[in-house]
Order: sequence, then C-alpha cells, then structure tokens
Amino acid sequence: MAVAAAHAGAVGHHDHIHPEPEGFVAKYIFSLDAKVIGVQYMIAGLLFFIISGLLAEVVRIQLLTPGGAILKNDAYNGVYSLHASGMVWMVVIPMMTGGFGNYVMPLMIGARDVAFPWLNLTAFWMFPVAGVILFSSFLIGAPDAGWTEYPPISVQGPPGTTMWCIAIFLIGISSTLTGINFMVTIFKMRAPGMTFTRMPLFVWAQLATAMLNMIATTALAGALLALFLERVFDVPFYDPARGGSPLLWQHMFWFYSHPAVYIMILPAFGIISEVFPTFARKPIFGYKMIAFSSIAIALLGFMVWAHHMFTSGMAPWLQLPFMILTMVIAVPTGIKIFSWLATLWGGKIDFQPAMLFALGFLVVFTFGGITGIFLSAVPVDLHEHGTYFVVAHIHYVLFGGSIFGAFAGVYYWWPKMTGRMLDRKLGVWHFWTTFLSFNVTFLPMHWLGLLGMPRRVAQYRPEFQFWNDVCSIASFVLAASTLILFYNLATSLIRGKRAPANPWHARTLEWTVSSPPPYYNFKTIPAVLKNPYNFGEPLPYIGLTLAEEEEDRLPKPGPAVPAHS
Amino acid sequence: MAVSALNTSHEAVAARYQNVDGAYAEQRDMRLMGFVLFLISDVVLFSAFIFAYLYLRNSVPNWPPINKDGVQLPRFDVAFAAINSCVLFGSGATMHFAMENWKHLNKAAFNMWMLATIVLGMTFLGGQAYEYHSVQVTWSGSTMGATFFTLTGMHGFHVLVGVIYLIVLYIQANRGVYTGSKYFGLTAGTLYWHFVDVIWVALFYLFYLM
Amino acid sequence: MAQLTAPEQKGLGPGFWPVTTALTVANAVISYFIVVLPIEKYLPEAAAPAGDIDWLFKFMSVIGNAIFVYVVGYMLYFCWVWRRRPSDAPDAIGIQVHDSPSLELWWTIIPSILVLLLAIFSVRIWINLQNSLGDVLTMEAIGQQFKYEFRYPRLKQPVFNDMHIPVGTPVTLHVTSSDVIHSFWVPEVRLKYDMVPGLVQTLRFTPEVIGKYRIICTEFCGTNHGNMVANLYIDSQQDFGRWIAGQFKAQGQTGGPLNLSAGQAAAGQQLFGEKCSTCHSVGPFTQKIVGPGLGHLTDDPAYPNLVTGKPVNAEDIAWILVNGYQGPDNSQGKAGPSIGIMPNRQANALSNKDIANLAAYLLSLK
Repeated sequence: MAVAAAHAGAVGHHDHIHPEPEGFVAKYIFSLDAKVIGVQYMIAGLLFFIISGLLAEVVRIQLLTPGGAILKNDAYNGVYSLHASGMVWMVVIPMMTGGFGNYVMPLMIGARDVAFPWLNLTAFWMFPVAGVILFSSFLIGAPDAGWTEYPPISVQGPPGTTMWCIAIFLIGISSTLTGINFMVTIFKMRAPGMTFTRMPLFVWAQLATAMLNMIATTALAGALLALFLERVFDVPFYDPARGGSPLLWQHMFWFYSHPAVYIMILPAFGIISEVFPTFARKPIFGYKMIAFSSIAIALLGFMVWAHHMFTSGMAPWLQLPFMILTMVIAVPTGIKIFSWLATLWGGKIDFQPAMLFALGFLVVFTFGGITGIFLSAVPVDLHEHGTYFVVAHIHYVLFGGSIFGAFAGVYYWWPKMTGRMLDRKLGVWHFWTTFLSFNVTFLPMHWLGLLGMPRRVAQYRPEFQFWNDVCSIASFVLAASTLILFYNLATSLIRGKRAPANPWHARTLEWTVSSPPPYYNFKTIPAVLKNPYNFGEPLPYIGLTLAEEEEDRLPKPGPAVPAHS
Repeated sequence: MAVSALNTSHEAVAARYQNVDGAYAEQRDMRLMGFVLFLISDVVLFSAFIFAYLYLRNSVPNWPPINKDGVQLPRFDVAFAAINSCVLFGSGATMHFAMENWKHLNKAAFNMWMLATIVLGMTFLGGQAYEYHSVQVTWSGSTMGATFFTLTGMHGFHVLVGVIYLIVLYIQANRGVYTGSKYFGLTAGTLYWHFVDVIWVALFYLFYLM
Repeated sequence: MAQLTAPEQKGLGPGFWPVTTALTVANAVISYFIVVLPIEKYLPEAAAPAGDIDWLFKFMSVIGNAIFVYVVGYMLYFCWVWRRRPSDAPDAIGIQVHDSPSLELWWTIIPSILVLLLAIFSVRIWINLQNSLGDVLTMEAIGQQFKYEFRYPRLKQPVFNDMHIPVGTPVTLHVTSSDVIHSFWVPEVRLKYDMVPGLVQTLRFTPEVIGKYRIICTEFCGTNHGNMVANLYIDSQQDFGRWIAGQFKAQGQTGGPLNLSAGQAAAGQQLFGEKCSTCHSVGPFTQKIVGPGLGHLTDDPAYPNLVTGKPVNAEDIAWILVNGYQGPDNSQGKAGPSIGIMPNRQANALSNKDIANLAAYLLSLK
C-alpha cells in the first residue's frame, strides 16, 4: 500500500527519536517534552484554580448579608477581580490549551512532540511567572475593576492594576506562542495518512483554538500596553479630557476577549467529542459538521465582540450587525449539541465519571448557551447587561462548559498520563455533588439579575438576601465537592490500580501506547487509514509497535477483559 | 537532540543543519510557517494600535486636534520623514540584494549588502531619534502625540530588534552556519526586515500623509 | 483482529415517539405558563418600552425552553434506553451510524429559521426603541462617584438622587458622567445606558405607571459602586407640577407673569416644532399623530371647543398648556372616554413666555 511504503521509507525529522534527557532538571523542570510541559501546565493551573476558587468563596461569604462587610469594599473589589482574571487567564486558558493540548494533541496526531519544543518550554514558564505577578498584586492593592478593567476607573485604579497589565501581557505572549506552535504542529506533523478529515475532533478543536489564540491575543496586548502607558506615563488613549476615549479600550479589549471565551470553550467541545463516542461505543455523529462548526465558531467569534457593548455609548446602528451575528453563532453551536445528542442514540452507554461530566456539560452548557441568546437581543440586553443575569450566564458556560469539560478530560486521560486509575465511585460522587450544587449556586442568579441586582457589588438591597444566601451556601458545597476530586487524584497517585494502555477501549492514537507513554510517544510513527471512530473494526493504523511489556490492547471478543472498575 | 541543543558553539550549530535533506526541508517548512504566523500576530498588534489611532482621530472634529490652550497642533513635517523613509525602504532593497547574492554563493557581495542594510537600518533609527526631538507634540499632551510616539516607537523597537538580528545573522553567515542550500535564518531575517518596511509604509501614510 | 458486530438498527428505538410526544406536550404546557406569566407582578412595567421588551423575553423563553426540554429530555431518554446492560459483553458496541445528512440538514434549517425569527422580532422591537417618543420633557442625568445628578430644564441647580417625571409624558433623558463610567438603569423601565465621561447617550421613554422605582448603577465605578442607587418617581401630572414648582421655589426662581398679548407667533412656531410636533400636526382636527391636529383651532367645525365649550381664544389655549389635558374625565368633571394625556406646563417645561408665544402661533394658523 502506498501509505505503508511511504511510511516505511520515511526518515523524517520528526520520525527520529532523540536520546532520553538525563537528570531531574532536564526531565521534569526544564523538559522539552510536550507531555511533561502539559503536566506542568496542569499543576500550575490547578494551583491557580484553587486560589481563584477560594477568592470566589470569599465573594460568596461577603454576599451572605446585604450590608456585607467582612471585607472593606476596596478589598472585596480586588477579590472578585482577581477571581475572574485568575480563572480566565491562569486557569482555563492555560489548562485547556497548554495542559490538555500539549499532552494529548501530539499523541493524537501520531507525533512525538510539538513543532517547536523550545518555544513550548519558554511559553510555559511565562505562565507561573505571570500568575505570581497577578496574585501578588494583592500586596500593593489589587486591581478592582473586574477582569475587564474599563478606563477611566482602571487608569485611576490601585497600583496592582499595573501588575495586572504586566501579568496578562505576559500570559498573552505565552498564549500567542502556544497558538503558533500548535498550528504548525497540526498542519505539519500529522502522521502519514492522517488527512484533516481523519483527525480526531479534539485536534480540530485545538486547531480552531490555536487560530484564535494566535490572532486575537495581540489585540489584547495592544489594549494592555495602552493602559499601562496611560497609567505609568500619562499617555492619553482613554482620557476624554485630552481627546481619548473610554470606548476605545472596550473595543480593543473585547476584540480579544470575545474570541477568548471561544478559546476557553472550544477545547472543552473537543474533549466532549472524544468522550461521547468512547463511552457510547459508537462513532461521533456528524463528524464533518462538528469539525466545520468549530472553525465557523472561531471565525464568527471575531465578528461579535461589541455585543458586550450594547449599552456602552457606541453608535446605535452598530448594535444591529453585532446582534445578528451573535444570534447566527447559535446555529453551529446548536449543530454540535444535537450531534452529541445523536451520538448517544443507539449506543451502549457506559456511565464512567468522564461520561457523566460530559452529559452534565450537555445540560448546563445548553442552558448557558440559551441565556447567551437572551443577551444577544439588544432590547433584552439593555435590561440584563451588567446584572447578575450575566454572572449566571458566564458561570453556566465557563464552569458548566469549560470546567465540566476539563473534569471530563481529567477522568478520561488521567490513566494515560499517570498510569493509574481513578476511583470510579468517588468520581460519581464528585459528579453528582458538583452538578447539583453548581445548579443551585448559579440558577438563582438569573432572576436576581432580572429583578434588579447589579454585578460587582459589595453590598446589595435587602430583598435579594434570600437568594444570595441560597447561592452562597450551595457554593460552599460546590467548593467542598472539589475536595472529592483532589482526594481521588491523590489516592490514585499513591495506591491507584495500574492503568492498562487502553482502559476505555478508545480508538484514538494516544490509547495505542502505554500508560504513561514513553517519552518518545511512538516507537515508530504509525500510518493512518481511516478516522478513529469506527468501533468494532480493527484500529485503522499500521506500523504500530506495541510496547514490549504491554499485552495486546486491541479489542478482543470473548471473555471479559478487565480494564476498568 | 535535547542535550546538544544546549550547546551553541559554532560546531554544534553548524552540525545541526547538516541533516538529511528531507528532514531539513520538513524542518524549514515548519519554521517558515511558524515565523510567518508570528509575523501575522505582530501585524495584529500594530493593527490594534492603528485602529486606536483611526478611532481617536475620528472621534474629534479637528485633526490635528486642538490643545488645551485652544491652539491647533501642527501637522507632522513630511519632508524629513520622507527622506528617512527612503532610507528604510532602501535598506529593504539592499537586504533583497544580499539574499540574492547569498543564493548565488557570492559571499563577499552578500557581506557588503548586509552591512549596507545594517547601516541603513541604524541610520533610520537615528533619523527617528531626530524626528522625536523635533516634533511639536508630546507623548502625554494629546492623543496625536500618544498615538504617534507609541506606534512609531513600537515600530522603532521592531527595527532595533531587526538590526540586532541582522548583525547576528551577519556573524553567523560568516562563521559558516549557513550554506548555499540551508539558510533559513537568513530567510527569516529577510521576511522580518520586509515586514518592518511594510509596517512603516502604513505608519508613514497614516501620520504624515493622511 | 477483533471484529465485533454492531447491533442492528431497529427503528428509532423503544418508546421514541411516546417520549417525543411527552416532551412536546411538556413544552406546550411550559410555554403556556411562560406566556401567561405576569412579569409585571414581579417587576412592574412602568414605562413604554418595558412591555415590548418583556414580550421579546417571553418569546425567547418559549423557544429557549423548548430547546432545553428537548435536549435534556432526549438526553435522559437516550441514557436510559441505550445504556449498557450488565448482560452486555464488556466490549459491546453501539449502532455504528456516522451521520444522517437529512437529519443534519433539518437541525440546521430549523434553528436557522428560529434565529431568523428571533432576529426579525428583535430588530422590529429595536426599531421601536429607536422611535420611542420623547422630547416633551428633556432633561439630563449625570453620574458621579457615587450619586446621580439630575438637571431639569430652566431649573438652575441640579437635583440629587431623586428623579421625578410626570406620567404619560414622553421623556428624553441625556446621560453622561463627570468622572468614570457609570450606568443608568431602571429595572422597571428595562432601559439601561452607560454614563460615559466625554459622551452623551440619550434615552427616550414614556412613563406609564405611577410609582416609586429604582435607578441602579450597573457599571463598576469604584469603592461604593454597590451603593450607587437613586429613586425614580413617576408622578401624576399634578404631583409632578407641585414637586417641580417646589424645586423652583426652593431655588428662589420665579418666572414673569403670563402676558398673552405679548406672544410672538414666530417664536411659537419654532417651539411648536421642537416640542409639540411629536404629538400634534398643524393639519385639521382629524389629522392625528398622538393628539389631534391643531392647525384650524378657530375655524375647524370638527374641533370640540374644549375648556369652555365656546369658540377657542388665547385664554383657552393657555389653560390647556398650563394644566395639561386628559380628556373630559378631568375637565369640568364630565364623564367620558380617556383621550390620553397632554402634559401640563411643568412636564413640558414651558415658561409663561413660551405659553404666550404658542398661543399666538396657534391662533395665527387658519
């Protein structure tokens, strides 16, 4: 076969196995291996997740009472601003791209690493540095104007706002470099025979995300640089008294930050698109449309930024095209949701924790997407903008979407990354406590907003107390439920069952190597014959070398193959 | 190779590019794509500030704007900037000639044209320093100054980085790092230098002619 | 190599149509409750755009609810019907279907149609919002850290934190800020506009329900953002008149006496164009915009000779301009159908000079 012949003769650059790095530092600290870098992203991301999550709990404690005064207002404003900034830039984006992307994507395309390992290393180390700078701003007066930091208030803001500019600028450079790296990797380093239509959907998602990362982030860099210059050198970009415009910031900021929300959700879509077929034991439904809609969402995502600015004072006629384009994005998103649903039909569904989180994702993300439609209609947004309705929408799509997707990814790929199984029962408990407490925490925020509670407030009117208390108490349960996950992760590392190469009998390439994979990923780069979703057929790869100590991992008929608990 | 990658001596660097041709071609291909994507993201950075300039310019009735004392700021002087622009565009031409000579293995000519490019680049920077000294707007006095100094400053920073990069390339070329068929570093340098030129075309038009 | 056989496809699965029917019925029932939900019971619809906006909200709720119920309903149903049974082989697989072009076409077309409908209705209501009546009472609100400042026409000093407007009077409100970005939001009116320094935004709305409502800042503006609230009072015409007269008095402002003979028709014509033409034409009585045409007050046989029942003179015109007019209901105590609200002089911000000029102008029309 031509492909096999081409494969057999290939002595390409990325076919070559370099010698194993020596020494603890080269292996685990300054490693060039995308898998190690991916794990480093996850560890740093987890740390910032804990910090940002605790900040959220401080917010909820303050909001237990209308006159909430456990913190001075300025400190409170810093708390929620860093909660949001931390979650967006130091948790979700790095973990979804640098974390899952680095670890899984090269394996999935049959590559040994990413295109530019040194760039990968450099981009990673900017991340914890940026995070430390961000959270250290508490020491000199945390930024207090939300994660959006609108001037003029942000120009006058506490000293920490300058640190915020620097931190986000740095993580922005990191993101841009990772975006470039992933784009070149996916375009140039796919295994022989892996055409774009044979690529797993997680890789499609990372490709769309990398495009966004690469193009949108430098617009944010521009906005941040201008804010920095105005704060530090009094250079007037946003100051109306000298001809500047507060709206200029909003345009520049949202031109990045709307694509940013797609950067946060597209990888989750990709994870869900892998988890559903694996645990329904059938192909993902509508592969081509899901792949196409990822690109469509990425492109449309560049054209809708001013739907965050309907009340801002921009020319009223501008509201119309942004409103309509935002509504249009509902169509490719809906296509994905229906495709996932149809993947369940006719399946043999196994309710592993990864699948539970994927199903939970489907419920809450659909809900969050629908409230997004509400916000897209200008007349309704005039009422809902800047209220807790928006806070509710944000958390349904970011927590319910990205974080649930990330949880699904953790349960799915933990065995591959660590060589240990997680406890299934604990995973189920984690899911149900998270799912239920999540909904009780964020659902009431919808009507709190509709009835008149604005966002970013340290105090609120007494009539809102009952529902705020419901949200707060549920949020404590939500925080506690994360402990179940941490306990599961810890005990798995210490005494978890050894994981086989393919505990889920999945079909993408990462499952054909040992758990964890060798540093070179594949002994020989396989050739790819078909897309990976045809369960019941032999794996569509040739030239795979099975690791010596692993038994045959291909699906077998007959007696039970003990693979998962 | 992870270990030898840390070794930047001449031999190690030269050895890295003597791989099998197929492997080199793949690598060059990837590096070229990566570098072009980087330039695209850099274009977005400049575009963001150009948007800011156009937006701010459009949001006031007069341009140049009228300052606090009710006096309209003067337009920028085209003549000097036009000459300085020719210097920069000229360096683009000299860079092109340098590359052509390298491809035809004329090392001496390459060296001459490279040096010319470097000198012209530095001259441009000198010209910008003079321009900064003589313009009548301040960085913090108005949006005209804010956008002018920030955009041309960013551009000047890119030129400075470019000049340093060209010097490094010159040294590397003369130490045998590149051959007649393997010279990706030079290609990247040329692309970058032309990118800096193109950005200047836009900035010159926006600030001096528009 | 293992080759497991996929189960055969037997229709759409057990119970598919009953479940679909059940979900559709559930949607219909929930939609009914959405439609009849009295939003105004929970949040008053105090001014003109609120009704339109609530309608759009309900429309989106019906569609959004339907999508959600179908998605979650089918998901739960599929999870039940297509779950792995303990009796299944460990490597049992599902029905290997990759796609269905016709199904995918339908689930692209139908949402596209829904989006199109939503866009059409949203644009129509957006246009209505742009064409909201205003200009009868034109005033300003200026946001500051952390209070609202209201400026009324001809009232020299601003009023803080209590905004009064008369019911039935189309209001134009210009909003801006004197320091950082604030926002002006009245939940009961459903309108929100940011108050941006260096920029003026304009709201137009007609208050409809008398009451006390909230003005809330929704754009972070500093330490006390959470406490930046004010009161909006929609008063009756009379109460508003009393309130604003009180403000004038408190600020020591009094106007000159009413001198109808000194009215200037030209000035009245300009004023008419600025203030009255929103609701009145200068055509015959029957040419209504909101109120009747005023072009032939003295010689139009259709004109009902209000106020005294006798042919119109300057005093009659001045009487209506000063007191407003709400139909026979409130004029001379005669019963009759309401004809809407003509605002009084405070609502219209008319000085005595303005009244004289308008009377002169209207009488000059034949």
